[in-house]
Amino acid sequence: MGEETKELRRLVIKAYHVREVQWGSENEVTENGILTVDKESSGRYKRGKEEYISDISFRIIRPEERDQYTNTIMDIIPISAKVLGDIGDGITHTLTGVYVILTGVDTVGKQTHEFGSSEGNLLEQMKYGKAGTPGENDAMITFDVTLQEGMGQIRAGVTAAHRACDEFVQEFREQLRKFHGDKCTERHEFYDVVRPGKKKVLIIKQVAGQGAMYDMHLFAKEPSGVEGSRSIIDMGNMPVLVTPNEYRDGILRSMQ
Amino acid sequence: MGIGPSTKETTLHNFRDPLLDVVAADEELDLMGVLIVGTPQDQQDKVLVGTRAAVWAEGMRADGVIISADGWGNSDVDYTNTIEQLGKRNIPVVGIHFTGTAAQFVVTNPYMDTIVDMNKNPEGIETNIVGENAVDRIDARKATAMLKLKMRKR
Repeated sequence: MGEETKELRRLVIKAYHVREVQWGSENEVTENGILTVDKESSGRYKRGKEEYISDISFRIIRPEERDQYTNTIMDIIPISAKVLGDIGDGITHTLTGVYVILTGVDTVGKQTHEFGSSEGNLLEQMKYGKAGTPGENDAMITFDVTLQEGMGQIRAGVTAAHRACDEFVQEFREQLRKFHGDKCTERHEFYDVVRPGKKKVLIIKQVAGQGAMYDMHLFAKEPSGVEGSRSIIDMGNMPVLVTPNEYRDGILRSMQ
Repeated sequence: MGIGPSTKETTLHNFRDPLLDVVAADEELDLMGVLIVGTPQDQQDKVLVGTRAAVWAEGMRADGVIISADGWGNSDVDYTNTIEQLGKRNIPVVGIHFTGTAAQFVVTNPYMDTIVDMNKNPEGIETNIVGENAVDRIDARKATAMLKLKMRKR
């Protein structure tokens, strides 16, 4: 039944595995799997956001070091960069083996959360190995934001924390973008396709759209990014259609 | 109520969403896209955006819809309305939702007979453990199988 499958566009995601995360004098990632974080760089991401952010600090957490306190987990972010084309087609590079964990609290100790807060022992506060969480053997970089008093409960404060974190991730994106295509550790090809004659199915995703820690951004310049993105709230919460490839190329940024 | 740690979909979750993977890989289905719809505060706005989503599905001549919800409680008003609007337009719909013991729907309608409960907690509650109740491949497969059955019966 039906005609042949018609391919509309192709997305290639090349993954580069990071095997070691360590402190260094620069925020740097190399093709051979070493990522270094400059502890002193944390101050520069709050620049221009002092109204909302009091302090930012980093931690590198290796798989065997999860038995430690964390502030509430606002988001878990892959480090991905667009190499060729727009979100949804062309080539994207992404890192595996390490993920950025955005955590938040304010200066008087109020955790940055909407409903239910995940602060506590990191070993226990996360179910590892799910689609949205790091795997058992993955390293984490926590980007821990201390917001000004009360700013963790308003949309502008939470958005500023995401923006600061995105600026940090961008430094790695600029390097990851230049990695040689043939040095990747995994390569995945995805196609937006039409399957004539088959049942036509639509996925509807109902997402947050009411304010601080209850927001969703779309259409950033970079995969899973913030810069250039638009909030579903600012779009009146109206339905917006994205292609499967746009979706799997990180067109959504969870702001809850 | 809103979005809790155990059900919330992180940016990483959206980057490698099992629901999209399962539906897109199914060669018996022609996945048209993903419609992202928000959850406004105002009651009239809730009805408006959900109805527009259903109109999109009708206009696209969807044979079926899978609708997932990030969060529960207040946003169930939006969710039940969108399902009702799809149902009224004779579009088979299957939901994925956190229900457990903590989040039974307050209001339902006749089109809500196929909702996959994404709860994985033994007590059926939202918890403060990130990722615990989030949608996985099994939830996605259940929803896809239910939708196929529902489309066939139509």
